[in-house]
Amino acid sequence: MSYKIPMGPYHPALEEPYKLDLICEGETVTDAELHIGFNFRGIEHLAETRNYIQVIALMERVCGICSNIHTLTLCQAMEKLTGLTPPPRAQYIRVVIAELERLHSHVLWAGIAAKLMGFKTMFMTCFELREKVMDILQAISGNRVNYSMNRIGGVNRDVEDPATILAMIEALEREMVRTVIPIFTTSTTATSRCAGIGILTHEKAISCGVVGPTARASGLPQDLRRAAPYAAYSEMEFDVPVQQDGDVRARLLVRALEIMESCKILRQALTKLPLGELSTGDAKIVFTTGTATSRVEAPRGEVMYSVSWKEGSRNPSRVHVRTPTFANMPAIRWMVKGARLADTPLIQASIDPCYSCTDR
Amino acid sequence: MNAVETKSEKSVLDSLPEKLGIADPWIEMGGVRWLNPGALSVRDLAKGMNAVGARFVTITAVQLPGEQGIRLEYHWDLDGQLLGFPYQLAGNTIESIYDLCEAVDWIEREIHEGFAVDFLGREYEPLLLRQGDKLGVNLREEKK
Repeated sequence: MSYKIPMGPYHPALEEPYKLDLICEGETVTDAELHIGFNFRGIEHLAETRNYIQVIALMERVCGICSNIHTLTLCQAMEKLTGLTPPPRAQYIRVVIAELERLHSHVLWAGIAAKLMGFKTMFMTCFELREKVMDILQAISGNRVNYSMNRIGGVNRDVEDPATILAMIEALEREMVRTVIPIFTTSTTATSRCAGIGILTHEKAISCGVVGPTARASGLPQDLRRAAPYAAYSEMEFDVPVQQDGDVRARLLVRALEIMESCKILRQALTKLPLGELSTGDAKIVFTTGTATSRVEAPRGEVMYSVSWKEGSRNPSRVHVRTPTFANMPAIRWMVKGARLADTPLIQASIDPCYSCTDR
Repeated sequence: MNAVETKSEKSVLDSLPEKLGIADPWIEMGGVRWLNPGALSVRDLAKGMNAVGARFVTITAVQLPGEQGIRLEYHWDLDGQLLGFPYQLAGNTIESIYDLCEAVDWIEREIHEGFAVDFLGREYEPLLLRQGDKLGVNLREEKK
């Protein structure tokens, strides 16, 4: 007999509200229906009522984890409409903050995944590691969530103490190699909960148009930092980790390896940080009429902003945001088909979903 | 606005307009290579993009001033290059490409709910972002 089990919108396994109706035969999930919109805030519409300073603060609040990525993408789009190019030091600082954000996001996800596996010690280890990254972000920006680093034509704050960040990177890398990666890849607890679970095949990943680590874990080597470099990424050397299995373990491995690559990028960016100005200055910003689009590789995958402006207006006439979870989440339906009911919380978490981003 | 220069050796991107049957060249503007689809239907566009292995990114809906209606901008990625195809809607309807491109599902539903655009040939239920039965209340200016 087929029956439906609702998971969410408020559920211990969900950090944010969405609803997954699981159609089951016994303990096996045969299909799933996804429902979002519980956190819809109309941010795109609100953006049309904000001027070019206020809209940056507004879009920083689309997401509580990758807040910096949203302002970076928005500012890059607005720079195309104003003809402003950030100075080299600002471009490097944008890379530093973006990679620190990726580190804390990936380590946070690893902790949540560990919790859902029933591996509480690992959860505590990951969150302790994440605190080191958060301390650095707070030291640079004065804030732990909304860093307010980006502005049109550059950044608001300098990275004054690269040595401290380099020391944190050393400690993080050491702990990743010594503890996190070996435990996640070899322990029976992690392997039994992740290997062969929640598979998204290569073909289905293409069909669903998934992005970021979810795509790379299904054998798609797409990464905008490599394919369409922005900020100072064209001057960085790094690898794009790709796994072929498409299961929860592959998504976990991709993120673990990306943490190591982020450390590599951070070390280069901090070592080569050029001297110079942080922005193009405080001259009046003039927008030309038109539409500009910007894309960046957020921790969860590609973020795209399309910004339209009319010359002489203080407000944008349209801001459209396509977030990575919006692209990745429909794929959960295919990941949970045939899975055990008990594995579904971990499977849905394996895309590192963000419903604030999705709903906007 | 600059017409994109043609390389001596035609890449997939360069030969795409010809494959799609479009005479206009690519126009690079604001980080996107735009191609005016002209009479090419959105379904034929989707088939063409699938054939060259492009990845669907999103559709941006823009409400134009006055009574000009809605413009939909279809975005695809080809080897890291963002491509844009604008469609001016007549009568607030356009054919759905959901059966050709699974990735378009949620954005078609969102635009249907936010801008009251009808994507012909598909079903919408359940609603994606909200409850209720009035379309076009999220992002589209309400007409009195």
